[in-house]
Amino acid sequence: MTREIAVVAFAQTDHRRTSEEFSEVEMLMPVLHDVLAQTGLKTADIGFTCSGSSDYLAGRAFSFTLALDGVGAWPPISESHVEMDGAWALYEAWTKLLTGDADTALVYSYGKSSPGSVRDVLTRQLDPYYVAPLWPDSVALAALQAQALIDAGDTDEPALAAVAARSRSDASANPHAQLRDPVSQGEYLVRPLRTGDCPPIGDGAAAVILAAGDRARDLCERPAWIRGIDHRIEAHGLGVRDLTDSPSARLAAEKAGAFERPVDTAELHAPFTSQEVVLRKALRLGDDVRVNPSGGALAAHPIMAAGLIRIGEAAARVHRGESDRALGHATSGPCLQQNLVAVLEGDPR
Amino acid sequence: MPDVLKAPLVVEFPFTRSLGPVQSAFLTGLRERVVLGVRTGGDDGRVLVPPVEYDPVTAEELHDLVEVAPTGTVTTWAWNPAPRRGQPLSTPFAWVLVRLDGADTALLHALDAPGPDAVHTGLRVRVRWAAERVGAITDIACFEPYDGEAVQLKGNTGQFENPVTGIVAPARLDYTYSPGRAQSAYIHALGDRRMVAERCPSCRKVYVPPRGACPTCGVATAEQVEVGPRGTVTTFCIVNIKAKNLDIEVPYVYGHIALDGADLALHGRIAGIPYDQVRMGLRVEAVWTEGSRYPDHYRPTGEPDAEYDTYKELL
Ligand SMILES: [Zn+2]
Repeated sequence: MTREIAVVAFAQTDHRRTSEEFSEVEMLMPVLHDVLAQTGLKTADIGFTCSGSSDYLAGRAFSFTLALDGVGAWPPISESHVEMDGAWALYEAWTKLLTGDADTALVYSYGKSSPGSVRDVLTRQLDPYYVAPLWPDSVALAALQAQALIDAGDTDEPALAAVAARSRSDASANPHAQLRDPVSQGEYLVRPLRTGDCPPIGDGAAAVILAAGDRARDLCERPAWIRGIDHRIEAHGLGVRDLTDSPSARLAAEKAGAFERPVDTAELHAPFTSQEVVLRKALRLGDDVRVNPSGGALAAHPIMAAGLIRIGEAAARVHRGESDRALGHATSGPCLQQNLVAVLEGDPR
Repeated sequence: MPDVLKAPLVVEFPFTRSLGPVQSAFLTGLRERVVLGVRTGGDDGRVLVPPVEYDPVTAEELHDLVEVAPTGTVTTWAWNPAPRRGQPLSTPFAWVLVRLDGADTALLHALDAPGPDAVHTGLRVRVRWAAERVGAITDIACFEPYDGEAVQLKGNTGQFENPVTGIVAPARLDYTYSPGRAQSAYIHALGDRRMVAERCPSCRKVYVPPRGACPTCGVATAEQVEVGPRGTVTTFCIVNIKAKNLDIEVPYVYGHIALDGADLALHGRIAGIPYDQVRMGLRVEAVWTEGSRYPDHYRPTGEPDAEYDTYKELL
């Protein structure tokens, strides 16, 4: 790696159960203005723009092209889109900056889950031959993983409830979170997962600005340098995988250099309580690591943005001097199928 | 702000998918009440069920099909108290991963059981076949608890008469769509037979229909401006193929229309004139039919054609 690249700004919406009064671009635009204002940059100053979203969530075809209206893409800008969480858009932008083609990048993502039934929408990402025809919803698949963890002795329902309680209680300090107070664990949604073990369904958006080298130092008092970033995927067949482990998260962390030195903070994209158990094990996070001080995905889960928000939250803690070395993680697919890990560091103080 | 507009939106497709040789053999086997796995190469030689075309570890192409039993063991489960549309059973059931006897990996399906207390990891189960089978994963209706004898296999290697070569997988998603602030205001005004655009506060361009943002400046539009109802045809095409469920005779003309006062053309059908007489620069006006909340089409006003210079930026 020849270029130093950092997250220099991060912004997000307040995440809410519904944003029906706004179109996607109307929801997104204030976040874009916020993140640009933090750096003083204008759209024309940005070298590369990359976004992540999925039209299936709101059922609106080509919503990502409409969302581009909020960027101000005329005269034409250098731009790309991934049908994935914005964390993967950040990865693409990072590679673009590495090549030297650009010195700054705007990364954004958004998800509006409120118009549809997201548990059913997510079945459409599954194997279309053997799995999708059964319509196994996202909670059901997470529940199969949770039961496997319970059977293996890796967790139990009280431990899962503790993850839920800690996340919502930490979110009380996060004005953007959707659930900011302890919620009851509630009834089984799909046993062994109760409503409290599941993420809130909601709408939201996030944006990040990346910059290289001295440009980053100009734009941010304490840039969050990306020391490493990597993403790995596992077999798509659930029955082929060991659901109690995440070899892809571990490998991504290793390639990102996460194991070279301990991190003090980790923002994990674990939409279900049981998935935090898997990730803590795979990423070798000890009890001394501050996990999800933002409240994590259990407090706000705008799909397609929640992974980018993990990296943004980790970076923001570095910006504020609350972390010196933080891990940001994003996931995609059922039962933590695909995982991205970024290691962020601040300059010594 | 006017009331938020909402409307049901159903997105529905029948996905037609072709099958690879391994998938074809597996799904044809289900039609014939035979479960096949595929053996991976190398020393470990694992049997994957459901079988896949390529080894998930080595990416090697696979083809060595082996019959496995319709009986097996639950490796993990989850009790679903409220079945959703499309799922295998309409009464509460358990989602299960089942490792069939003779297989090394597990298959996802539903287990019909009286309640969660009747299900545990390690439970012995067997396939309950669907009465009508077509060569699809749903040919397995579900699994059911089974504590009987092992089933004798015939050593089927995936050779069948009339193998299935594809599946049709219907997919339907239901949404409640809301168009957002700017488009809601536009649609509300259309109901009153007014066309209300929005002006960019930065570049002053007037957009209709407004989408809430100026795509040039990336800022919110908010100032409302009434435009039309007359405008100029900037470009057009002649449609010769009848669209499904559309009650319009072909050929007809679909055009870009720059409404007076707008800086962006919108599109609409042009009628009230023979299709081969529509031209660039033709002056038209919106026509609402009785009770309609939006213009049905645009028709000539009878004014002289607009000069090219007046609309050349709006093509
Ligand atoms: Zn403008």
